[in-house]
Amino acid sequence: MKAALTTALVICLAFTGAWAQRRTAPSGPSNPFAGNAEAIGQGEQVYNRNCTACHGPNGGAGEIGPEIVHNLSGSLRGELNDNQILEVIRNGTPRTAMPAWKGKMADDDILKIGAFLHSLRGTAIDNPLPGDVANGQQVFWVKGQCGSCHMLAGRGGLRGPDLTNIAAVRKSNSIIDALTKPNHRIYGDGGVHLSALPPMDTYDAVQINLNDGRTLDGVLLNQDGYSLQLLGSDDQLYLLDREQVKGVVTKAPIMPTDYDKRLLPGEFKDLLAFLTRQGTKPPSLSGGEE
Amino acid sequence: MNRGADGCKSLLARLIGAGLLYALPAMAQDTFPAQPGKDWPIYGGSYNNQRYSSLKDITASNAASLQAKWTYHVEGLQGLESVPVVANGVMYVSGYNRIDALDARTGNIIWRFRRKPATSAFQRGAAVAHNRVYITTNDGHVLALDARTGAQIWESKGGPQVLFAGTPPMVANGKILVTGNRFHGSDGGGFVQAFDEQTGEYRWTWRSIPDNTDPAIKTWGGHVPGGGPIWIGGAYDPDLKLVYYGTGQPNPQWSGKGRPGDNLYSDCIVALDIETGKLKWFFQTTPHDTHDYDATEIVVLADVTFKGKPRKVALQANRNGYYYILDRTNGEFLQATPFVSRVDWGKVDPKTGKGIPDPAHEPTVKGTITCPSTAGATNWPSPTYNPATGLFYVTATEGCGVNTLASSAPDSETSYLESPRDKESWQLYTRAIDAMTGEIKWDFKQIRSNHYGPGLLTSEGGIVFSPEQFGQVSVLDAKSGKSLWHYNTGDLITASPLTYSVNGRQYLAIASGTNIFAFGLPEKVQ
Repeated sequence: MKAALTTALVICLAFTGAWAQRRTAPSGPSNPFAGNAEAIGQGEQVYNRNCTACHGPNGGAGEIGPEIVHNLSGSLRGELNDNQILEVIRNGTPRTAMPAWKGKMADDDILKIGAFLHSLRGTAIDNPLPGDVANGQQVFWVKGQCGSCHMLAGRGGLRGPDLTNIAAVRKSNSIIDALTKPNHRIYGDGGVHLSALPPMDTYDAVQINLNDGRTLDGVLLNQDGYSLQLLGSDDQLYLLDREQVKGVVTKAPIMPTDYDKRLLPGEFKDLLAFLTRQGTKPPSLSGGEE
Repeated sequence: MNRGADGCKSLLARLIGAGLLYALPAMAQDTFPAQPGKDWPIYGGSYNNQRYSSLKDITASNAASLQAKWTYHVEGLQGLESVPVVANGVMYVSGYNRIDALDARTGNIIWRFRRKPATSAFQRGAAVAHNRVYITTNDGHVLALDARTGAQIWESKGGPQVLFAGTPPMVANGKILVTGNRFHGSDGGGFVQAFDEQTGEYRWTWRSIPDNTDPAIKTWGGHVPGGGPIWIGGAYDPDLKLVYYGTGQPNPQWSGKGRPGDNLYSDCIVALDIETGKLKWFFQTTPHDTHDYDATEIVVLADVTFKGKPRKVALQANRNGYYYILDRTNGEFLQATPFVSRVDWGKVDPKTGKGIPDPAHEPTVKGTITCPSTAGATNWPSPTYNPATGLFYVTATEGCGVNTLASSAPDSETSYLESPRDKESWQLYTRAIDAMTGEIKWDFKQIRSNHYGPGLLTSEGGIVFSPEQFGQVSVLDAKSGKSLWHYNTGDLITASPLTYSVNGRQYLAIASGTNIFAFGLPEKVQ
């Protein structure tokens, strides 16, 4: 097994070496485990054994250490690239609690942690999470009942976002957050300088009371001081003037955010394995890579 | 102010307005009228930054019939933060190294000036005076261009090499004033720099960082002073000959342990003698700041009756959640009142105005929730003051933030984050406060807005022009805040509006995303 792994590693390194020449590489060699689902799974285990005490699960900030993977839609000031992260893991950070792991941990393990963290930083489809994909599909449609609100490949409901291409659009940890964090909105959005006008994207469940006595339930797609755009619970689009509206009542979100509790651990993992593979990878610009 | 000087100044203003003066008279001291009217020649409309236009064509009664007049797409820039300036019917849209000069009636291009390199870095405006347009470059120069054709008249020369912060220049007292964040060869250090209006020759620099001869250096506890960036435009009192600026945060920004003390002159409102650049007085809004509560908000000057006495005041709605009233002749503290509902970073002494930060709200590795957030109760977008309604209008942000240090290292980072608690998420309002008491009079909720950006203006027509982050612009009744008219510009707005008139027609204009929009009343049907 070890010999096979070593051979695989040698082949990986050789292959990567050739690739590295074609890419515009950041300073340092590329991680031989990048994109390798099995290595990422192993990296996750090593991370969980050694890093969560300070940095929290999935690279979010912990009690003592900062977040390594962030949920912000903009880039965090001072965010390190993949090679810088490897350096920090190997050599520590002076004057902080971050120790140097070189010598305490096999360098392969350090590289696998790097690959795992990278998988959380790219969009999901670049580095899908490990698990039983077929079972995950089953969980999606049956126990999870996700199709009651979400479309996937042409099947399902309209109330939530279409998940057909979700893995190509969102990061893995953002998908995890959507399933587990209450009132899920992009944390820190207020601090971000947007560069383009975004849709509202929060899928607020509302009840709209109109001046003519009618009541409309549904998901608010957009609003401003003068108009509202609603997807009714009857799956019809309603375009309303603010003047027609007596009041808007925000209701509890339709999306459950306790899937890590209502599903068994294996089911949750498999659901993520399924979701992080949904989508079409955008074509590579340099052709043939990845 | 004696009547003789008054008459002389207004004659000068008329001659300048008629374009009959091409060279600068030696005694030109007050370049711009006290209130913007047909022209909007500098960022704040006039020296006092009230943004209170004398134009009365657009009123609360007829605003409902406003219509879009023209749109101009500004190639090569995005997320426009600039206020175009207008003089004699020509609108000047600037960036670093560039101007687009438009017919302000129609949006047609008259001329363009471009200097290399092309850059889309944020730049907030130009200034136009005496038939010249003044722009800044991204290599620390001011250029004077002929207002009619864009021909370059001079490039500034002399003085220490600096980088400007995107602030629009001010033309005052025969000088061009520019500002920036970083003084060459040091750890930051904001500055105001002045050049001669005629020749572009360097005149003086004032730095927000004290040197060893200034007793203020003791307020750093031995740490080398750093920070105090000045990235906002100033106000000017032509009688007192003082210019007023706000300065930004001390460095290291979030971690105060290494720099015990008040850290002057960070987070200050300062008054400088315009002849010499020397500091006349200062007032610090947030001593020993660890929340990035820059005092780089627009300072508004007004002559008012405060508590029964006539006073020359400086008004500022500050990042830290307080609305300050100071005597602008000497910096005397008059009043500070919160203008947002939650303020817990510290207290302000009601007698002295001294800010006292609460150590429990310093940023920590675990994360501390503090109100207002670091993005502030307001930020750089321009407020406006209407002497007729007695109201000070400001884009206010309700909400709190969480500050997380990456580590206990002295230069550790945090970021502008909302509080994760839903009740503390950021919400913007066009907020009208009583300018003398600080009492909130009304709010216009900017539904969906959660990030500062657009500024405001008001006018003798009794309106407030209120743009919003996600592209909606509204005209509000200046007394009641009721919306009279609106238009969706379809792009993010993060600039302040202007109003001007050409041939007797008044326009409201705003930069939105990559476009300039102009609005006006319908032409009368023949």
